[in-house]
Amino acid sequence: MATDWEVRQISDFNFSPNTRGRPEDYPVNDAESPIAVSMFNAVGGSTVLYAAHFPRFHPSDFRVRSRDGVADDWPLDYERLAPWYDVNARMMGVSGLAGDPAYPPKEVPLPPVPLGKLGTTLAKGFNRLGWHWWPSDSAIATQDYEGRGACINAGTCLVGCPQGAKGSTDVTYWPVAVRRGVTVKTRCRVREITVGDDGMVNGAIYFDADGVERRQKAEVVVVACNGIGTPRLLLNSRSRHFPDGLANRSGLVGKNLMFHPYAMVTGVFDEPLEGHKGPTGCCIMSQEFYETDLSRGFVRGYSFEMLRGFGPVYTALWGMTAGKLPWGADHHRAYAELFDRNAGMVVICEDLPEPTNSVTLDPSMTDSNGIPSPKINYKLSENSRRMLDHAVARGKEVLEASGAKSTVAEAPLRLAGWHLMGTARMGNDPRTSVVNSWGRCHDVRNLFIVDGSIFVTAAAVNPTNTIQALTLHIADTMKRNLANLFEAE
Amino acid sequence: MASDDPGFSAEHEQVMAALIDAILPAGDDGGMPGGAALDLVTHVERSVRQNPMMRPVVEYGLSTIAEIAAKRNPSGIAGLPRAEWAAALREFAANDQFFLPAFLFLVYGGYYQHPRVVTALGLEPRPPHPKGYEMGADDWSLLEPVRGRRRSSSD
Repeated sequence: MATDWEVRQISDFNFSPNTRGRPEDYPVNDAESPIAVSMFNAVGGSTVLYAAHFPRFHPSDFRVRSRDGVADDWPLDYERLAPWYDVNARMMGVSGLAGDPAYPPKEVPLPPVPLGKLGTTLAKGFNRLGWHWWPSDSAIATQDYEGRGACINAGTCLVGCPQGAKGSTDVTYWPVAVRRGVTVKTRCRVREITVGDDGMVNGAIYFDADGVERRQKAEVVVVACNGIGTPRLLLNSRSRHFPDGLANRSGLVGKNLMFHPYAMVTGVFDEPLEGHKGPTGCCIMSQEFYETDLSRGFVRGYSFEMLRGFGPVYTALWGMTAGKLPWGADHHRAYAELFDRNAGMVVICEDLPEPTNSVTLDPSMTDSNGIPSPKINYKLSENSRRMLDHAVARGKEVLEASGAKSTVAEAPLRLAGWHLMGTARMGNDPRTSVVNSWGRCHDVRNLFIVDGSIFVTAAAVNPTNTIQALTLHIADTMKRNLANLFEAE
Repeated sequence: MASDDPGFSAEHEQVMAALIDAILPAGDDGGMPGGAALDLVTHVERSVRQNPMMRPVVEYGLSTIAEIAAKRNPSGIAGLPRAEWAAALREFAANDQFFLPAFLFLVYGGYYQHPRVVTALGLEPRPPHPKGYEMGADDWSLLEPVRGRRRSSSD
């Protein structure tokens, strides 16, 4: 790791594939969306750059229609996924603390990430208001774990973890899969999934690392390209059987795109907070406003996730965009008031599915192999706007209760489309969903999807833990039904 | 430098150096170095080579600043009194939308990762890995008020 790591976080390791522009990236037309897409294309996918914040969904998140009369219920419940959340916690090496009153009892294999001075300061603010908070469940090894070194509080999580402490799937699941005989073909890009005369999928056409078109035969195809890449691939896979895109007889492939509308609320404090120490995105979280309370003016709710402070470069860039850092004679005085004295949070709002929020194919933009790019059609709902307003006000309140002398908020946060969900939703009815309760496409019984696209609703927490628990559930169901995989219900 | 990359002209480099010095003068107490002392021109040039889309914006800004300075003093920036130079920059900034945000982005990136600046901020001039940082023990009794709450997970 070099001293320029902070600058690289905003250049060649930028969250945006459009800014990064690596050969592995595909461009996304998100110009008309208030939320821009963030992802990473590599072995390990976006977990290479994620914060590793690792909350579970709440039981209520699977029954939104029954509870609140909006969106839809999932075709499975928390109890079905709970054992797989436990398995996933062991596979990913999750740290945390048992006893969070916001959740049913759950397994947490490793001790929590440190609070530090910053986390302690904010926790006291939550206590002053009597609000819920708890150390974040984090896919970060706080002790040596399964060949991974313990976290050393370097604070570089968002450019990748050179220590290997962060549970990105290149250091968790992939090594296990490879040891068991899986072949990984890197720097390849699938153009389309092919369909046989019987209407079943029979393989894929892809470009290899040299740009040569190849064919891969398959008895079963499992897609894991997440909420943007999966509909893009299915819509690019048109055939006689599926003229509107593979597995799209419902017309729902690409529809119901959900992000989590984010806000960032940052406070400036008088005292140094040692904010450059510790896992960047994992400290404490609050779910005080998670469940529906209609007196707030919106349905469903949000989480607060406390961040560590900004490093030297980020402090300057944040101060500049927040209007708190002049250039010229007064620069150093203003900077000294910000550096190591900032702390704050992101707000994760539950997004509700709307068919008009969608992924389609861009008519002209392509990747370097000439494959049509995805286009994002997304508008922030009135419910989300009200939720963001409420969250920003409460975020400022708790920062002030923690001792902040001033606060700055940005809502919605534009480059915050990390969580990509809903575009091939799960359900029991083939007319209103793309896959069944174990990820098998209703229209194509040897095609499975295991990513955020199959989410029915978004909850108000980071989705990776639930994507992986769902994947374990789907893999287990496939294994149990292997003898009659295409007939089983 | 790539063979097809012309780099910045001598005039642009001169404007850039003067501008960086105006953006980041040395701290009054001598603690923080000025931008001119850290060869940030080289950093900006390297950044623009890595992101060629920025070149037109940067060149436009530097040319415009040079033109404004020339109107105030035909011999250009070199002969411009300090107050006149400051006024020229204010005149430019009042009408600029794109150059300064982009340029500040580049300059701050180079400045605040420089070992002399990092040291002046009280940090060790090193990358965070592999040494990492020690964090003290935490007081988990802070959680007592939260543990006492009724379980809020509905269902």
